[in-house]
Amino acid sequence: DGVAILPAPQNLSVQSTNMKHLLTWSPVMVPGEIIYYFVEYQGEYESLYMSHVWIPSSWCSPTKGPECDITDDITATVPYNLRVRATQGSETSAWSTLKPPFNRNSTILTPPGMDVTKDGFHLVIKLEDLGSQFEFLVAYWRREPGAKEHVKVVRSRGIPVHLETMEPGAAYCVKVQTFVKAIGRHSPFSQAECVKVQGETLPL
Amino acid sequence: HVAEDTSDLLQHVKFQSSNFENILTWDSRPESAPDTVYSVEYKKYGEREWLAKEGCQRITRKSCNLTLETGNPMEHYYARVTAISAGGPSATKMTDRFSSLYHTTIKPPNVTCIPKVRSIQMIVRPSTTPIHTGDGHRLTLEDVFPDLSYHLELQVNHTYQMHLGGKQREYEFIGLTPDTEFLGAIRIFVPALVRESDPYMCRVKTLPDRTWT
Amino acid sequence: QEFQFGPCRVEGVVLQELWEAFWAMKDIVQAKDNITNVRLLRKEVLQNVSNAESCYLIRALLKFYLNTVFKNYQDKAADFRVRKSFSTLANNFVVIVSKLQPSQENEMFSVSDSARRRFLLFQRAFKQLDIEAAQTKAFGEVDILLTWMEKFYQL
Repeated sequence: DGVAILPAPQNLSVQSTNMKHLLTWSPVMVPGEIIYYFVEYQGEYESLYMSHVWIPSSWCSPTKGPECDITDDITATVPYNLRVRATQGSETSAWSTLKPPFNRNSTILTPPGMDVTKDGFHLVIKLEDLGSQFEFLVAYWRREPGAKEHVKVVRSRGIPVHLETMEPGAAYCVKVQTFVKAIGRHSPFSQAECVKVQGETLPL
Repeated sequence: HVAEDTSDLLQHVKFQSSNFENILTWDSRPESAPDTVYSVEYKKYGEREWLAKEGCQRITRKSCNLTLETGNPMEHYYARVTAISAGGPSATKMTDRFSSLYHTTIKPPNVTCIPKVRSIQMIVRPSTTPIHTGDGHRLTLEDVFPDLSYHLELQVNHTYQMHLGGKQREYEFIGLTPDTEFLGAIRIFVPALVRESDPYMCRVKTLPDRTWT
Repeated sequence: QEFQFGPCRVEGVVLQELWEAFWAMKDIVQAKDNITNVRLLRKEVLQNVSNAESCYLIRALLKFYLNTVFKNYQDKAADFRVRKSFSTLANNFVVIVSKLQPSQENEMFSVSDSARRRFLLFQRAFKQLDIEAAQTKAFGEVDILLTWMEKFYQL
């Protein structure tokens, strides 16, 4: 290894929302020079059983920017150690290690985006595509006193899906929350959205 | 231990399996001797003896049906082929470890789509497999995959889909517009093994509504 | 979705992710196992395991995999894709083991003992092979292990 004249990256942190994890750090500045960064990780298994083993990040070994999408590297709900070092030509900085380790169960889950429409008597919903780890719990009800709330698990993402065949003249409301199996957590519910069906009646 | 030779007499020895019909296939380079004959053996992973496959000894074709011999989905198998050309060298090659449970391709389901005025009924017939139980009962895919389910999609005027699904065999998409064409896609899904069939497609038109005519 | 090994419940592990991780390296790992006449996870080890036994058995097996079978594997796994898949599998096994707390009470002795005898069958067969060959073979049999674990996976 080159002698560690180059300063090590500082202020490592992870921003994680809806199971997308972004590792960021303060850039190492050397006027007129291009700095590359190498990111490596180890899960609890590596740190417990073979602490000398670090695995190069899928997308950031090397990378130019002071950030790295580590989503594809975090594939178990255990603490992960993450480290970054800078290089410039043959010079290499020391490693900086994230403290404390990152666990994906700390991700922030936001209410999903949804688009509620109707086609004739069909109540149709389109849900934000958040990736294969997400399921959607869709709650819908007829807007009238004492109406029963129905719940459906929807797994299709990013495509409009029929939710219910509505009664003529009625108004229906929908709200949705996400569920992530890998961490066993739900997001808060979204705001409810309502649609009303015209008054025609279906011939019997 | 028979020396394994990897000359151009023999290549790509592997299983091709769909709905648990397991066919061993292989190739040889075009320039290999045309009078080459092939003999097939197989065994369970973990067992010592190789067994000769009757009906596939000194054959000239390049496939052999090992469905019965490799029929237990819970077992793992190996097969190997020995190629012998008249007066020339021989070659033996073995497959990778094979288990039909993981490797078989699941064919699209058998479905009947029945259009009505405001609905479309879909009836799924269970797919049979060549696997028999001890008492001769023939297993279906539902028997082999306890968590098997069906996923049904109905494309509505290219803008949205209706979804149904479950383990039962009869489904009905309701609340449809009469005299309108719809595209249905029905898949077999085995969640635990992350397995899915290609879709069975049916394009159907709901019947005209003659109530008021 | 969770595992239910008798009284032991395990959340936060998605079985499909374990399958996908193993499938990414299955052919590479199994191709290295030339001993086709020995199977470590034989019927006598995994067949007809009672619910009550399952927690003891899976814990013993996974701890053995973590401590012995996977040992030094990362050093040998040159292929980056394999290293990543291996890390996924190993770290998810760590999650499962951390959540398995089988009862240690006396009346469970016969159950735990039965599970221990099954595990010893596996371990004895493992020890009869050269360590590297045994590690490669046991690793190549993770599909057999996952298929058995599947029975205890509630969708």
